[in-house]
Amino acid sequence: MPAELIRILIGLVAVALSVGLIGLVMVWVERKVAGHVQRRPGPYEVGPYGLLQPLADALKLVGKQLFMPDNADPILFWLAPVLSFLPVLLLFLPLPLGDGLYTMDINLGLLLILAFSGLAVLSLLLGGWASNNKYGLLGAARAVAQSVAYEIPLLLSVLAVAFVSGSLDLATVVKEQGTWPWNWNIMTQPLAFLIYIVSALGETNRAPFDLPEAESELTAGFHTEYSGMGFGLFFLAEYANMVVVCSVATVLFLGGWHGPVLPGPVWFVLKVSLLMLLLVFFRWTYPRVRFDQLLNINWKWLMPLAVANLMLTAFFVKLAQYAVVK
Amino acid sequence: MTRYADMGQVAGDFYTENFAQTAQEGSLILNLGPQHPSTHGVLRVIVELDGEYVLRADPVLGYLHRMHEKMAEVKTAAQFIPNMGRVDYGHALAWNWAFVGAVEKLAGIEVPERAEYVRTITCELNRIASHLLWWGAYLLDLGAFTPIMYAFDDREKILDILQVPTGSRLTYSYFRIGGVAQDLNEDCFSRIKAFIPWMRSRLPMYKDLVSDNIILRKRIEGVGPIEPELCRRYGATGPVARGSGINFDVRRAEPYSVYPKLDFEIPTSPLMDARGRYDVRMIEIEQSLRIIEQCVEMMPEGDTLVKGAPKPSWKVPKGEAYFAVEGGRGKIGVHVVSDGGKNLYRTKLRAPGFSNLSLFAEVSRGTILADAVAILGSLDLIIPEIDR
Amino acid sequence: MNSLDALLKGIPLDYLAACDYAKTGQTWQAFLPAGSLVKAAERLLAADWHLEDIAALDCFEGYVVTYHFAHFDQPGRATLRVVAPHDAPHVPSISAVFDGALWHERETRDFHGVIFDGHPNLIPLLLDPDMAECFPLRKDPKSRVKMREFLEAGEVLYQNPSFTFMTPDAPAVSQESGGTAATA
Repeated sequence: MPAELIRILIGLVAVALSVGLIGLVMVWVERKVAGHVQRRPGPYEVGPYGLLQPLADALKLVGKQLFMPDNADPILFWLAPVLSFLPVLLLFLPLPLGDGLYTMDINLGLLLILAFSGLAVLSLLLGGWASNNKYGLLGAARAVAQSVAYEIPLLLSVLAVAFVSGSLDLATVVKEQGTWPWNWNIMTQPLAFLIYIVSALGETNRAPFDLPEAESELTAGFHTEYSGMGFGLFFLAEYANMVVVCSVATVLFLGGWHGPVLPGPVWFVLKVSLLMLLLVFFRWTYPRVRFDQLLNINWKWLMPLAVANLMLTAFFVKLAQYAVVK
Repeated sequence: MTRYADMGQVAGDFYTENFAQTAQEGSLILNLGPQHPSTHGVLRVIVELDGEYVLRADPVLGYLHRMHEKMAEVKTAAQFIPNMGRVDYGHALAWNWAFVGAVEKLAGIEVPERAEYVRTITCELNRIASHLLWWGAYLLDLGAFTPIMYAFDDREKILDILQVPTGSRLTYSYFRIGGVAQDLNEDCFSRIKAFIPWMRSRLPMYKDLVSDNIILRKRIEGVGPIEPELCRRYGATGPVARGSGINFDVRRAEPYSVYPKLDFEIPTSPLMDARGRYDVRMIEIEQSLRIIEQCVEMMPEGDTLVKGAPKPSWKVPKGEAYFAVEGGRGKIGVHVVSDGGKNLYRTKLRAPGFSNLSLFAEVSRGTILADAVAILGSLDLIIPEIDR
Repeated sequence: MNSLDALLKGIPLDYLAACDYAKTGQTWQAFLPAGSLVKAAERLLAADWHLEDIAALDCFEGYVVTYHFAHFDQPGRATLRVVAPHDAPHVPSISAVFDGALWHERETRDFHGVIFDGHPNLIPLLLDPDMAECFPLRKDPKSRVKMREFLEAGEVLYQNPSFTFMTPDAPAVSQESGGTAATA
């Protein structure tokens, strides 16, 4: 077997294992942060500081009876959570954790990530439709409109970075950045960073853009009818998506694995964790944006700004090229 | 589960079928509730949707109907007071007051001065608790999970204060015909005096973090405008009417107890939308604190229950009386008619939420579903009061 | 001045009295024949009164449907009453004038069985549709009380001689016993 394939297989296994672990850690972090923001302790009974709580939750979810509403489509109903979870595993492959530490050496890494993250919306749609539930349907319709809309500024902001670095290969993008914060892409592309974070919130259905699962309006939207492991898979996929999005932000804007003193992977994990913490804080601080306002933000603000940013970047990059040539 | 109205077959219960008779082609009929995280109790609203737009909305009541008015006819007047604690769990003391006030008016019983002050202090504390509950729950509807925790933190303090004299945390039956059951002791007063500056210190934080938050403002500004004319036709009162600019508060319009002696403002808002109603309630919390402060200063010595107060078996003399009180949701009215017998002949409970909710059908027409939920929240509904 | 007698000028009335507000919480009380109800409601709405509630009282003489009105800008409460006979309890609906009456009338139908003619949707509001004909607040005919026993008589401003329910010790009414016509 070619070395390439073995490398990918090892990477996939590692990713599959770590996604589970990430899910557990993120659940704990989310609930603890939620607790402290809300002036209560969060989980503290199960294990020291409640560290075993996510494990207990996972065991509970796995042990639940898997049942399906009466008139739901059985194939699509069970396909939806699986479809939401599997593509996420692929998204981790091109990410460089350290110098040379990536599973897949592909010069279109960015494109791969953007393409496969588009599959997530399909699973939402299937889940909502196959549930044979009006709330699910409304949630699915909202999810599709939202995901499709927010992909565009995401793409445009990422493209701006690709212009600056001259490549779609994630390893190259990181190499182009330096060790210290003033050498990172966030200095040259601050607007792109902001647009990226907001679009990422929209893509991963996190608050304040969590309308598809708006608990107080649609009683859990597209995953109303899911319980047990089906719900667990949706849940895990959401956290994994969050990690991917934060990792991509780190790689593109925050210098990836660069950093003084400590080894690369440690810095990478630190930066990703910081961004994840930021997203968790957002969820527990802000109310939810209304659906038409959500789309307005995207079409009237994010997209024009992203386009303007791209144009400006292209202009300056070309200018710099001419200056060099001269 | 209802099918689309244009498919000819509508499977649903009596109310859904009745609603679907006048449904349009191709619209979706959806039930919000009766089990739903944001309908504040057991309320069911049948909506006819065109995509996300509400074409028609019809609340269906009765899921929490316990027939209090019939209970009033089989219990004696004094035995009915605990019922008044259960009608509206948000502002139970106001309902207590409305009922005992009506009976006292009928029988010509005069309540001692100190009892009036105790009634005012406890009722205003209850009003603050009710508004905090509304505030937390409303923001929960809009997707902010944190303010309710802070609101409940403040509410705990109020509940602890009220627990000592009343014996309950939520469904109070503290008032008696002729006064109150028990006096407030020194510990109570010191806690109240500590609570007032604490609450005052929290309000600016709520304003900065929540009321001025741009996402919240975009959710409630311009949502659900209610004209004063609408309030008149439906009989809406309380913050719903005051949020539309109508300067009407029962404490000023039909003064009772010691309110004429107190200095406080009636907040109104010219905005007419959900934002106006929100602002009115937040300012009312501050005004209630003012009232409590003044009452604590002005408390006279004396009894808290009139001498010769009626025993539980007391018969109400013949006659009728109507007494109105300003509750957290609006004008609470109790009309008692007595024929001199063992029980009251008729007790009519006028719930402010009933009139406030009845205008929902007209206000929500043409809005987005998310806005309809925001309007429902801004009406501050407590379903047990509406269903009685 | 927004007083009830000025507002209802020209409408056929049965009884109109100024009441003791401090004692019973109402400033005026009026009994109307069924035909005058909607016109009176229109006059009240035009003078900016709002509808507080509608309730029925099961008395010896019939169902006394009681309408309470109040005003946002002036103190006082106006009570309008319509007596509907037990065997044919029909009262015109004022829901075209005061939309709030839509729900109050449904509730009164649930509790007492009073039918409001002209109501667009008189289905059960609080009771279950299976119990729609239960009428829980109807009284046992033996325990019905005459309304003059407990309703406030007040200071009578006008009384139609054929309306004797509120007069104390009223003998049997003879129709030819004079009295001016209803219109004032």
